[in-house]
Amino acid sequence: MSPGRVLRNAVIAALALLWLVPTWLLVVNALVPASSYSGSPHWLPREFGLFDNMSQAWDRANLGPALGNSLLYSVTSATAAAVIAGFAAFATVVMPVRRQALWFWVIYSGTLLPLQVFIRPLFLSYAHTSLYDTQVGLVLLYTAIAVPFAFFVMRNYALTLPREVVEAARMDGASWWRVFWQIHVPLTRSAMIAVFVFQFVAVWNDLMFGITMVTSRNIRPVMAALADLQGNYSNVGPPIVLAGALLVSLPTVVLFFSAQRFFVSSLRIHR
Amino acid sequence: MSTSTTDRPPTAAGEPAGDPRNAPRRTPLAPGRRNTRERLAAGGFMAPAVLLVTLFLLAPFVWTVHRSFFSDTRTSPFSWFENYTLFASDPALSRSIQNTLLWVVGTVVLPFVLGLAIACMTDSSRLSRLARLCVVLPYALSGSAVAVVWNFMLTTDGAVNQVLTGLGLDSVAQGWLLTWPGNTLVMIVANAWQATGVAVILFLVGLQSIPPETLEAGSLDGATGWQQFRHIVLPQLRPVSIIVIGMSLVNGLKSFDLIWVLTQGGPGRATETLAVSMYNETFLELRPGAGAAIAVVLTVIVLAASWLYLRRQLDVKGV
Repeated sequence: MSPGRVLRNAVIAALALLWLVPTWLLVVNALVPASSYSGSPHWLPREFGLFDNMSQAWDRANLGPALGNSLLYSVTSATAAAVIAGFAAFATVVMPVRRQALWFWVIYSGTLLPLQVFIRPLFLSYAHTSLYDTQVGLVLLYTAIAVPFAFFVMRNYALTLPREVVEAARMDGASWWRVFWQIHVPLTRSAMIAVFVFQFVAVWNDLMFGITMVTSRNIRPVMAALADLQGNYSNVGPPIVLAGALLVSLPTVVLFFSAQRFFVSSLRIHR
Repeated sequence: MSTSTTDRPPTAAGEPAGDPRNAPRRTPLAPGRRNTRERLAAGGFMAPAVLLVTLFLLAPFVWTVHRSFFSDTRTSPFSWFENYTLFASDPALSRSIQNTLLWVVGTVVLPFVLGLAIACMTDSSRLSRLARLCVVLPYALSGSAVAVVWNFMLTTDGAVNQVLTGLGLDSVAQGWLLTWPGNTLVMIVANAWQATGVAVILFLVGLQSIPPETLEAGSLDGATGWQQFRHIVLPQLRPVSIIVIGMSLVNGLKSFDLIWVLTQGGPGRATETLAVSMYNETFLELRPGAGAAIAVVLTVIVLAASWLYLRRQLDVKGV
């Protein structure tokens, strides 16, 4: 090996180790039984108290309902957004629509604005209707936020498809509804999965709406529960908070590494 | 930007020009009533998306802009740009602007430089793949979980101070999250720890699209490693670089979870950025007019930043 190559490998190894330190400490200290945590961070695992810590975090922060809620919000909103955005993408790309650029910008503009501009009007109107602190309210909200970017991805994908298939089906007298479900959806399936995975993670990780639109512990999503647990850091103790963080991150970490292909493809499209 | 989609250049790589999309798109049908029915059907397909976006996103946006022109006294009269002048008069908001600028610089420079370095230095060897995995791993965590991890690192009896004391550097050990500007800087580092993974992925995709012939030609002409990187690789990474910069910029401006869970903008509102200040003013200080003005300013900055890279994106994708 040339000296340059040795140096390069050394730099890579040093960077990787440096990067691994916080993750390593997260795992090691989540393993330390809460009762034997000495007040300063552990660097090597000795005893195994992970499941006990997780179950304590589960009780303290009501993680059971929170995980269930987040699963409901993520799955429903991501699915609804993929289907609704799929409809709109189908209409603007395949069907004869006038002023396509206008409709594109009406739907797409939603993803350019920061969430802070929506939150207070939504909070007030939710408080006036009966949507505040309900599961339906959060599902609607998360779906609406997910639609613009989902539409952007689905539309760009639909533009690359050949039009002959749809035209042939229309000639044979198939309705638009049938063309959408039987031809367009199977053709755009990979974009739909990418959108689903991306929005699932986005909804799962949301904190801001989770702490604003919800007060009850049995409606709030999982990141709001984690923030609550972190707020009790000095009472609860580091091992339990870290075990809680690990527990609520597991679903997205697993999804991320099993669907990395889809992440990369949706990232390449823009964010 | 053209107004219709029919004259768009092909988007997918390697697609032949003159494909059927470029032909006139209306299907050959009898004109008149048939056409009206077609358009109604199209409207039906678009209605759910348009309704949801208008009702939940665009209408609240208009409402917020409107609200930003009314003051926060009891009767909230129309007050022109009074809420916007708070940025000059309110020390907490001036600090918030300073922090936002620090975040913008930090979130663009750190992930860009580190991501580019890691993507270029690693190859397909096992060590390289493992190293990349270590860097990409934090990207799978949520902002809140990252905050929990870094709180553990940075609290007074946390891991960083433990290491410093162990090395005999007691004087450097400190309450990292307690004094400005150190607290903002360590949070920018925490953000870079998470965000560099995306930059690495994007730069890898960009590197794969560089034709190897250009590198071969360069080495035949006697270009050394650094010259090759500077004059052959870097220019060809320009499109990816713009995406990485724009993305980090927008994500940095929007980041809320990390700051909220780590410090809630404190102590004494010292670590707020615009995204956090808006939340604080609106829901904790109960000054919705000021909050609305902050949201509008944030929107303008985010739109300007998005324009940087979207201009290019939309030209390629065509709108």
